[in-house]
Amino acid sequence: VLWRLARGGGSSRRAVLLLGLCDAGKTLLFARLLTGRYRDTQTSITDSSAVYRVGGDKNINVTLIDLPGHESLRLQFLERFKAAARAIVFVVDSVAFQREVKDVAEFLYQVLVDSTVLKNAPALLIACNKQDVTMAKSAKLIQQQLEKELNTLRVTRSAAPTSLDGSAAGAPAQLGKKGKDFDFSQLPMKVEFVECSARGSKGEEGDADFEGLEKWLAKIA
Amino acid sequence: QERGGNNSFTHEALTLKYKLDNQFELVFVVGFQKILTLTYVDKLIDDVHKEFRDKYRNEFQQKGTLGLLNGTFDFKDDFLRLLREAEESSKVRAPTVMKTFEQSVKSQKTVKCMIETRGEKPKEKAKPKKNKGSKKEGTEAVTTSSKAAPGEKQPSAAGDREELTKDEILQRNREEFFKKHMKAGDKSSKSPKPDAQKEKGKKPRVWDLGNSNAKVLDYSNSTTNGNSEACPPEEFDPDLALGDRNREPGRLYDLEYESDEEAEEEKVIQNTSKPSTKKGGLGGMFGMLRGLVGSKSLTREDMDPVLEKMKDHLIAKNVAAEIAVQLCESVAKKLEGKVMGTFTTVTSTVKQALQEALVQILQPQRRVDVLRDVMDAQRHRRPYVVTFCGVNGVGKSTNLAKISFWLIENGFSVLIAACDTFRAGAVEQLRTHARRLNALHPPESHGGRTMVQLYEKGYGKDAAGIAMEAISYARNQGFDVVLVDTAGRMQDNAPLMTALAKLIAVNAPDLVLFVGEALVGNEAVDQLVKFNKALADHSMAQTPRLIDGIVLTKFDTIDDKVGAAISMTYITSKPIVFVGTGQTYCDLRSLNAKAVVAALMKA
Repeated sequence: VLWRLARGGGSSRRAVLLLGLCDAGKTLLFARLLTGRYRDTQTSITDSSAVYRVGGDKNINVTLIDLPGHESLRLQFLERFKAAARAIVFVVDSVAFQREVKDVAEFLYQVLVDSTVLKNAPALLIACNKQDVTMAKSAKLIQQQLEKELNTLRVTRSAAPTSLDGSAAGAPAQLGKKGKDFDFSQLPMKVEFVECSARGSKGEEGDADFEGLEKWLAKIA
Repeated sequence: QERGGNNSFTHEALTLKYKLDNQFELVFVVGFQKILTLTYVDKLIDDVHKEFRDKYRNEFQQKGTLGLLNGTFDFKDDFLRLLREAEESSKVRAPTVMKTFEQSVKSQKTVKCMIETRGEKPKEKAKPKKNKGSKKEGTEAVTTSSKAAPGEKQPSAAGDREELTKDEILQRNREEFFKKHMKAGDKSSKSPKPDAQKEKGKKPRVWDLGNSNAKVLDYSNSTTNGNSEACPPEEFDPDLALGDRNREPGRLYDLEYESDEEAEEEKVIQNTSKPSTKKGGLGGMFGMLRGLVGSKSLTREDMDPVLEKMKDHLIAKNVAAEIAVQLCESVAKKLEGKVMGTFTTVTSTVKQALQEALVQILQPQRRVDVLRDVMDAQRHRRPYVVTFCGVNGVGKSTNLAKISFWLIENGFSVLIAACDTFRAGAVEQLRTHARRLNALHPPESHGGRTMVQLYEKGYGKDAAGIAMEAISYARNQGFDVVLVDTAGRMQDNAPLMTALAKLIAVNAPDLVLFVGEALVGNEAVDQLVKFNKALADHSMAQTPRLIDGIVLTKFDTIDDKVGAAISMTYITSKPIVFVGTGQTYCDLRSLNAKAVVAALMKA
C-alpha cells in the first residue's frame, strides 16, 4: 500500500504537453493524434486535454494537453500545467523557422530554465512540424540553429538586470555547461528531434505522417 | 486580452463583435462591414449563441474534448436561417398584441407535458420587454424579442413544440428541492401536478412582474401527466421566462441517469436556473444553500459587490481609476456564467480571476531582451538606437546613466547623445556621468576602447539634428549603442510634442522608451495616451513608431502602491523594460510580474 502511494506521487505527472509558438500546428497535431482526421483549427485561446491510447497493444494512457501558443497566454497555461508534465513536445514550424528562430528559442529557453521543469526533467521532443511543405528546414538544421540561439540567450538572459525583490528567479539557472557552447546533450533531460507533418503529404484527406512522434510517445509512456 | 469589457474590434473595413460563453468555453464572433450599421448584430449573436449551445449541449457535456474534435457541427443551415430572421426582424415591426397574458393563463391550466425544444425562434432576453404577438397562432410559439417580432411561420416540422412555462419551472424547482432532501428518485411529473394547481393562484402575479415568455401550447398534444417519458426526446431548451442568460445545467450528481436522460437534463437545468434571477421567494433560499454546496453559477449580481471592493482596493493602490473600472468589467465578463467548483466562494473566484488578469497584463507580449537585440545590431554593423522620452523630472537622465552602466558591464560601447538642449545643466550632467562611467570602466580594461562617450552640441540647437549626427558618428566610430536623451515635456505642450515626434520619425530609433515614475496616478493614462497620439499623428509613415517599452522609475519610493505599473502597461500593452529603484548605477531591475501582483492584491 505504501509503495503504491509512493508511486502515486509519480503518476500524478501523466501529462504530455504540446507547446510551441502560435501557428506551429499544435492543435492540429493534437486532433490528429486523437482522431486521425484533419480539422480546420483556429488559434487556441484555452487548453484542451484528452486521454491518448499509446501504441496499439499496450494499455497505457497518457493525457495529451494542448496549450495555446499565443504570447499573452502561453506562460499562464504553462504555469498551470508544468508540474503535471511527464514529457513535453515542443512543436516547431519548420517553414517559418528562419524568421521566428529568436522567438522559438526564447520560448524554449523559458521552458527549459523553469525550476519545475528542471527539477522534474521531463523528456523533451522537438517536433519539426510542417515537413510536407517543400521549404521546410530539416531537424538537423533546426537543432543547430536552436543551439546557437540558446547559447546567446544564456548569456543575455543571465546578464539581464535582476528582478525586483530579488526573488528566487533572480539567479536564473544556467543552461548546460558554462564555458562550452550550448548543446542539447548538456540538458538534464532526454532531448530528441523528430520531423513530422500534421497535415500529411496527401493534403487534408490523407493521414498525417508522424510515426516518429507516435513511436516516441509509446517509448516514454 | 484583458480588455474584455469592450466587445467589438475594428480592423480595416470589418468590425468584429464577439460574445463569450464561459460555461462551455465557446466564443462567438460576428464580422461585418464597418460602414454598414447593422442593428441586429447583437441580437443575432445572442441567438446564435443560444441555439448552438442548446443544440450541442449534450455533446459538450458528455464527450468533452474528444466530442468537440469528432463532432461535426452542422450549424450552417440554422445559422443562415437565424440570419435571415434577424434581417427581417430589423425591417419589420409587427404591431404588438396584448394577447400573451391571456394565453399564458390558459396555458397554465393545461400544462402537462414536458417541454421540448424551443422552436427555432430566437429567445427572449434578460429584461422584460414588450410582448409582441405573432402573426400566426395555433401551433406557433410566440416569443418576445427585444427588438421585433420575428413572426414567421414555424414550419412545425416536429409538430408539437411546447415551451416551459413559469409553472413548469416552479414545479421542477420544487421537485429538485424535495429530491435533494428526500433523496427520492422521483422523476416523473406526477407529484408536481398538485403543486401546479396550487401555484396557479400565484402565477398571474409572477407573470406580471417577470419576463414573459408566453408560449402557446399545442393543445393537441397535451395529455395526462404521465406523458413526460413519452414525449419525444428532442433537444429542449429551458431558457425561459426567468430570462436568465446564465443558467447552467449544473452538475448532475443527484440524478441517476435513466433511459430518458433528456428529461433528467431538463430538470437539472431548471435546478440551477432558478436560483439566479427568481423574483419569487423560493429561489433566494435555494440559492444560498446551493452556494455553499457548490456548482453555483456566477451572475452579475453575485459578483458586483466583490468587484466593487476589488476596484476600490486597486484604486487605493494607485491604479488609475478608469483602468480599474475596465479591469473589473473585463473580469466580470469573463466570469459571467461560469460554474464554480465546490466550496469556493464568489470572492475567491473573483480574486483569482483578477490576479490572473493582472499577471497577464504585466507579462510582456513581445521579447524584452535588449541585449539580444543589441547583439543583432552589432552583427549588422549599425548602432542600436534607444530614445528616452517622458515628462519633466521623471528620471530620464539618471536612468539613462544606469542603463549605460549596465550595457558597459556587458561589454557594449555606448554613445550618449545629449539631445536635451533646453534644460540648464543637462549636458553637464551627462558629461559628469560619462566621466564617472569611464572611470569605473577604464579603456584599458576594454581593449583600448572608450566605453562611454558623450556627443553634444551645446544648448538651443535642434534636437532631431543632433540625434541624426550622433547616430552617424556612432556608425563611423563603431559604437554599439546610442542612447538619446531628450528634454522632458508635458504632454499637453503641442509644439514640444511635435518636436519629439519629429525626432523619432526622422531618426527611426530601434527602441522608444517612455520613462514614467511610479508615483504617478491617474496622470499616467493621460501622459501615455497623449504621447502615443502625438507620435502617431506626426509621423509620415504608414506604420508610425509608437512607444515600444516603459521604464518605471522611482520604484523605491512606493512601498506597495504599485498600481502605476498596471495602468501603464494596460494603456500601451507594451512591456515594462526596466525598473529604476534608486539613484546609484546599480539600481536597475527588471520587472517581476508575480511579485508586483502579489503586492497589489495584498490586503
